[in-house]
Amino acid sequence: MANMVNLKIDGKEIKAPEGTNLIDAAEIGGIHIPNLCYLKGLKGIGACRLCLVEIEGMKSPMIACTTKVKEGMSVNTKTEKVQEVRKFVIDLILSMHPLDCMTCTKAGVCNLQQYAYDFELKESSFTRKKFGFAIDEANPFIKRDPDYCVLCGRCVRVCKNQGTNVLEFMGRGVGSKVVTADDKPLQESGCTFCGSCVDACPVNALLESDRWRKGREWEYDKINSTCLLCGNGCDITVNTKDGHVMKINAGAAEGSPEKYICAYGRFGFDCIEADNRVTAPMKRVNGELKETTWKDALETVANMLKKAGSNAGFISTAGILNEDALTLKKFASDVVKTKNADTTASLYGSVDTLISGTAKLDSADLFVLVDLNPSQWERVLPAIDAVIRRRVNDGAKLIVINSSEPKISSVATINLIENEAEALKSLAKALMDKGLSGDEKLASAVENASVSEAMEKAATLYIEAKNPVILSSPAMYQASANITLLKGVAVSVPVESNAKGAVMMGLTTEGKSYKEMVSGGLEILYAVGEVPLNNKPDAGFLVVQNSHMTELAKQADVVLPSAAFLDADGTMVDYNGRLKYVAKVVEPAGDAKSHREIFVDIAKAMGADMKEAKESETKKLAKVKVKAVFSPFERKEGLDVKVDEMIESVNASVINGSRLLWLKEAAVCA
Amino acid sequence: MTEAKELKVEDIKKSAEEKGCPVQKALYYVTEFISGPMCGRCFPCALGTYEAKIRLRNIVEGRGTAADLSAVKRIAEDMLEGSLCMKGKNTAKFILEWMGTGVYEEHIEGRCPSRECAAFIEYRIVPEKCIMCGLCKDACKHGAVLGEKKKSYKSGYLPFEIRQKRCVKCGDCLPVCPTDAIVIVDVKAKTVQTVQTV
Repeated sequence: MANMVNLKIDGKEIKAPEGTNLIDAAEIGGIHIPNLCYLKGLKGIGACRLCLVEIEGMKSPMIACTTKVKEGMSVNTKTEKVQEVRKFVIDLILSMHPLDCMTCTKAGVCNLQQYAYDFELKESSFTRKKFGFAIDEANPFIKRDPDYCVLCGRCVRVCKNQGTNVLEFMGRGVGSKVVTADDKPLQESGCTFCGSCVDACPVNALLESDRWRKGREWEYDKINSTCLLCGNGCDITVNTKDGHVMKINAGAAEGSPEKYICAYGRFGFDCIEADNRVTAPMKRVNGELKETTWKDALETVANMLKKAGSNAGFISTAGILNEDALTLKKFASDVVKTKNADTTASLYGSVDTLISGTAKLDSADLFVLVDLNPSQWERVLPAIDAVIRRRVNDGAKLIVINSSEPKISSVATINLIENEAEALKSLAKALMDKGLSGDEKLASAVENASVSEAMEKAATLYIEAKNPVILSSPAMYQASANITLLKGVAVSVPVESNAKGAVMMGLTTEGKSYKEMVSGGLEILYAVGEVPLNNKPDAGFLVVQNSHMTELAKQADVVLPSAAFLDADGTMVDYNGRLKYVAKVVEPAGDAKSHREIFVDIAKAMGADMKEAKESETKKLAKVKVKAVFSPFERKEGLDVKVDEMIESVNASVINGSRLLWLKEAAVCA
Repeated sequence: MTEAKELKVEDIKKSAEEKGCPVQKALYYVTEFISGPMCGRCFPCALGTYEAKIRLRNIVEGRGTAADLSAVKRIAEDMLEGSLCMKGKNTAKFILEWMGTGVYEEHIEGRCPSRECAAFIEYRIVPEKCIMCGLCKDACKHGAVLGEKKKSYKSGYLPFEIRQKRCVKCGDCLPVCPTDAIVIVDVKAKTVQTVQTV
């Protein structure tokens, strides 16, 4: 806990942690200091001068965004002098801003509108300036209208800070403009369409493209949830209106380095209303899939499962919610009485390699990235890429250990491009040489490891770091965890959102594994959610329970419509081992039901009485204490998947059912 | 880099001081400041100088109103208070230097005390002094001088005069006149007054 500092703002006693700036400190006390260019989490630049405050004992006003709290400080935020400067600046900005609040989408959440209201400015008293800049709306995600821009530079700094570096200012002062390199449209500029800039923009200059006349912020219900589209499991805030999702924002706390979501999370929500959504149960009759009733479909499946018994197999996506996973586990073992129930998590991890500790990412000052290739550009674990780049920009160090060079190594302090197992062994040796002590097994294992010069440096960094965090692929996790016997914490990063949760719920096979089941020999194969399969595996009968009509579903004997991401609620465990809630923000399309409802219904049709797993049960199971034990320095065999292909494959219906498809098509054109 | 920029501000100030009219000085300073050393990082300075330039130009070009004057005053005062660095504050100080001396107000009323602002003055030829030598006609690059040289064998002649529409008030004709027949007149005052040429 940081030291607390006492200060007075507008006569109010406030306690703020040491090192806080005045804007944040005032916010703690419920006092808002106007600002346009400040953004929590980024360093203040003092450009807009709206946050000027007077501090007792100081001759001239100071800017609150760069002034740190001091013991006994007394601050006045509303003196006549600073209010006049604020009014003046707002007045100037209004003179070059389109005054069309009546149709502006950002009305209600626009900072400029709020300040104009606060300072009673109906219009500018200065000369009206018009620019007529071209609008960039050539992509289906982000619309840039520079005419609305107030030149606060938040978008430029957000983009730089997370390492995408697309936006920059052109010119100075009036008539300057935020542009991409060579003022090209976004899709030609290396933009990843993560939309961080949209979240940062205080006005209407950057906006989601589809927002025109889709309601304004005050009409939206805001629901906190979690994205399930890749291994990161980012926090999201879903905005709905009349039962439809209108937009999704990054949901992590303001100022946290984790406040990031990628294009999939932000713009993939169209898929829940897509044409390829399955809205009714389907059954193959005379070689053709035909819609049928739930009763018929459930009975068919129940009969087949009853007949198959232990020769039935369940394969599930690891993006399944905890409650669904636990219900499936119970359903398979207690009702169907088969040992074959596995998830796609088994393709890249196992109990030992997935369940790991929890790192404090916002205070991490050293990242060790083992065998991971996160990339915002390819949308492979993009949030990790963004978090690391942001932390590195704020002074944290990065050590990359990888046998090939990942993109993020360009910002690394030290790159160790070599065999990961050997490198980790060598790092452990270097750390022990430098005085860290571990157990005997570790000492004897690293005895004859060689230590290179770069490794010496890496070890020094690791020892100097206050809070080192090792992020590793599941295959290398156990070897990485050896380092934590000496110091630090290691986190195993899965490919799919709830791989950890699914494993914690016990949804790991006791019979045939996912790979074995897919290779054939089962009487009935039951696929839950989106699994990375395009061709029907060799199985007597195929049931696909999914929200969308996938390639696999088209070849199934029975298709059961399930709730999609955003229309089922439950819990999940993200890559960092945190239990997160997933909210049901809209009603499932058509007759779709949640996975667990369907399992219970089939159980009923089979004559068994089964209940849905409750949150209290899953919560208990999700509490796993991780104790590091020594394991040999080696790569776990059989856990190699192509992460980028897998993420694309398990999100196929999200991509194909939404405007994200444009990204793929645009890439083809380019 | 910064040093070079700092130097430029000084240069601008020096060249600005060469002008006679304080409003012209301020306009020159602000115009050069925007195109040169202004960094554009803080709003009061970046947006304020631009607005000040518009308002100062209004005043210099004879379209100035009391609103322009108070706007310039407000901009300068707030810039002095709110600008990020000394460059902005110095610009504000430079504008404020002549505030309150009445020079600005005179411009609003239609007079430029130093007779530099083109909008407030006219060049005229005093017929009584003109000897019709035609030197001014040769000197004028803009063809603003009308008239025909007096020829001894002709009885009639065209008197010399300046076409106001064409005259840009460059002052090239002033030094060539052997008899000081060209005078600068306050448009508003309409009184003929000779400028003391040094």
